[in-house]
Amino acid sequence: MGEELPAEDLLARVVGQDVAALSELYDRYAPRVYGLMAHILPSRDAAEEILQEVFVRLWSESPSLSQEGRSVVAWLVVTAREAAVERLRALRKNVADAGPQGPSAKAEKGPVTGRRKSKAAVPVPSGAKSLDGKSEAMRTRPADGASAPAMCPIPLAWLPQPKEISLIDDRLALLHKAINQLPKPQRQALELAVFGGLRESEIAAEMGEPLGKVRTSLRAAVTFVKHRRRAVCGTWAANI
Amino acid sequence: MGCQHLEELYELWWLGALSEQGSLDLREHLARGCPHCLARVREAAETVYLLGLAAKPARPHPRVKSELLRQISRKAAPNR
Repeated sequence: MGEELPAEDLLARVVGQDVAALSELYDRYAPRVYGLMAHILPSRDAAEEILQEVFVRLWSESPSLSQEGRSVVAWLVVTAREAAVERLRALRKNVADAGPQGPSAKAEKGPVTGRRKSKAAVPVPSGAKSLDGKSEAMRTRPADGASAPAMCPIPLAWLPQPKEISLIDDRLALLHKAINQLPKPQRQALELAVFGGLRESEIAAEMGEPLGKVRTSLRAAVTFVKHRRRAVCGTWAANI
Repeated sequence: MGCQHLEELYELWWLGALSEQGSLDLREHLARGCPHCLARVREAAETVYLLGLAAKPARPHPRVKSELLRQISRKAAPNR
């Protein structure tokens, strides 16, 4: 069996309109991206729709991504997460707009951007799943009138390079172990940000904690993960 | 907004967890091309990538790939 081509070589072929190369990238990364989509979004249909959209974007944006020399898988994961969170926020907005009778069956097809006006509590379409893959029951979350419009596209120059990502991939199990070491409130706040698509103020409402405390928890969680990642991927040893 | 103050915000910005104003401030700062912050924001993207991988991989329905390739082939065809 031949050696697996680097993703960036496949990307260069995608730039040359090679459908088979895109197909290979899909086989390699779709389970990873779809796993994330399924974790964030409430329905399989929505997750599959975003998955397809993201790979269509990869096809369209392959020339610039290839030219910048950025990691394909980092682009896929970060872009897919953003798209899923946007969809989740749109679903929430539709639920809020639908009023006390709940969302219509067509709600998922609604616009993906816009500001939510309602302050009423709305069921969150996401299962707010946790970082260790365990789902929690659907909860009620307060709507936040301060919702921002859709996230801006990611400037490619701001993404990591392939060699940096391969270091992470080599040490993924250690890094997940590090995430599991977070104190529960920090971990919960982080989960709501990563998989619930919530902003700080929404997380505070969800957790019933003051905004300042949640901000502190989130920053502490992120700092911990960042330092552990540096330890694992850097040249110095880490006692994880 | 100073670089030091932004140090702990990059990951939260990637996650979309900051307030709208916080996101705008950070983006404006990055758009000025601050080399320190650009390096840090790339590092933050690695962390966000890592957090995304905490979700267990799952296999999508084969129909998704068929539809994707059909859509892509239509896009590729006019260029051939």
